[in-house]
Amino acid sequence: MAAAAGGGSRADNGYGGQQPRRRKGPGALATAYLVVYNVVMTAGWLVIAVGLVRAYLAKGSYHSLYYSIEKPLKFFQTGALLEILHCAFGIVPSSVVLTAFQVMSRVFLTWAVTHSVKEVQTEDSVLLFVVAWTITEIIRYSFYTFSLLNHLPYLIKWARYTLFIILYPMGVSGELLTIYAALPFVRQSGLYSISLPNKYNFSFDYYTFLILVMISYIPLFPQLYFHMLRQRRKVLSHTEEHKKSE
Amino acid sequence: MKHYEVEILDAKTREKLCFLDKVEPQATIAEIKNLFTKTHPQWYPARQSLRLDPKGRSLKDEDILQSLPVGTTATFYFRDLGAQISWVTVFLTEYAGPLLIYLLFYFRVPFLYGPRYDFTASRHAVVHLACACHSFHYIKRLLETLFVHRFSHGTMPLRNIFKNCTYYWGFAAWMAYYINHPLYTPPAYGDEQVKLALAVFLFCQLGNFSIHVALRNLRPAGSKTRKIPYPTRNPFTWLFLLVSCPNYTYEVGSWIGFTIMTQCLPVALFSLVGFVQMAIWAQGKHRSYLREFRDYPPLRSPIVPFLL
Repeated sequence: MAAAAGGGSRADNGYGGQQPRRRKGPGALATAYLVVYNVVMTAGWLVIAVGLVRAYLAKGSYHSLYYSIEKPLKFFQTGALLEILHCAFGIVPSSVVLTAFQVMSRVFLTWAVTHSVKEVQTEDSVLLFVVAWTITEIIRYSFYTFSLLNHLPYLIKWARYTLFIILYPMGVSGELLTIYAALPFVRQSGLYSISLPNKYNFSFDYYTFLILVMISYIPLFPQLYFHMLRQRRKVLSHTEEHKKSE
Repeated sequence: MKHYEVEILDAKTREKLCFLDKVEPQATIAEIKNLFTKTHPQWYPARQSLRLDPKGRSLKDEDILQSLPVGTTATFYFRDLGAQISWVTVFLTEYAGPLLIYLLFYFRVPFLYGPRYDFTASRHAVVHLACACHSFHYIKRLLETLFVHRFSHGTMPLRNIFKNCTYYWGFAAWMAYYINHPLYTPPAYGDEQVKLALAVFLFCQLGNFSIHVALRNLRPAGSKTRKIPYPTRNPFTWLFLLVSCPNYTYEVGSWIGFTIMTQCLPVALFSLVGFVQMAIWAQGKHRSYLREFRDYPPLRSPIVPFLL
């Protein structure tokens, strides 16, 4: 292209060379770390799954199984916080904000509701979300593991993008019912609440906060659910096309 | 004189939207945008983004056709930026809100606190002082928007007004609720704490204003030139020696002063959130200064001297 009339310090006036930016994948070290991370997480949630089954068989009922998997649940669900760092450091190409949001909501339910309000630990709704989370996470972490190793069995991909159709509503129901069950105990004990007057000139009502959290599921859940449905159509139809062209 | 031909294609669909012939070589992008609006009146110039490459960056209004790397038939790609709203409108709306909302709580208008407190006054002097400071701050902002600031872009996307007003109005209500509450607890160190806080607040308000005036004077009316800001005779502007965006530095300082004055956690949180946002803006501004000017002073950091 002809150079600009006088004054421009660059021949293309800064407009040339606009290549589409190519995404760099994680390096070899990061990939190795991520494989280890995802394998460990898959194993962790398998431990929880096995723990649930064994406790069910030992007790003969599905009530109050929470206590048999309480520690690994807390450990592995909290460990997922690392995933926020993975996004922040760019070794995983997801949005930091979205990942933070998803992990924090899990951690919130684990610690700020189920752990903190002991009276709900015997509720059946806890089993509902624990089972949903367990199956989802086993599939999700093995999906990541296989993807990193470039060897993703179609079954895992299918499972990840199909089972959510049942598991997601199941988990959400369990979560909402658990929060709802916690409400009277929070009101009674004034858990995590501070009222005026105090020297920070601040007040917080955990009971109201929990109600607002429950309400927030109304706009958020459909958005996330339909996003997953759209992803499903995209991902599973691509594989069909690949299969056809072979 | 050789005339150019300009064709404008949709950046996403590559559909041919407009063909202009006999365009002067010295025509600016602004003039081309005006010509484009004639054929598509719903896309007023402020919402047009024209680029040389569908995924490239927007051309500037001041760019001249013949200085661009195009042949005699120039192809531009168009993206609709969406409905736009002027900066002045956004600023006036987002600042008028906190001014009024705070006063509603200060005067304890009904339905905010219990009925027995309606239209009562706080017995703490610091509460009256805080109202004066908060109101002063937003009146200053409104006046600066009308008389001081010179904006490089006329408009921003319409959805920003909802986002920005939620932020400003929401935080203002949250802070005002506690400061003007009947059960408000005044600062632990009493008058000394309030006096120190007031001094910090006023110092930073003056500083912030001085920077705004200095920035205005960098740029003649109606122009969009960009120059490196330097300290002037006003001592408040000497902060330019150490930071790129001393207006933000002083703004954070003002809110820290207000936090100390009111000893109110929501104010501290508002200051923190504001600081994070301004630090991000300052980093961006600092980087664009570095990119544009070879001789940019190396001692300066974006917002906090030597640190950030």
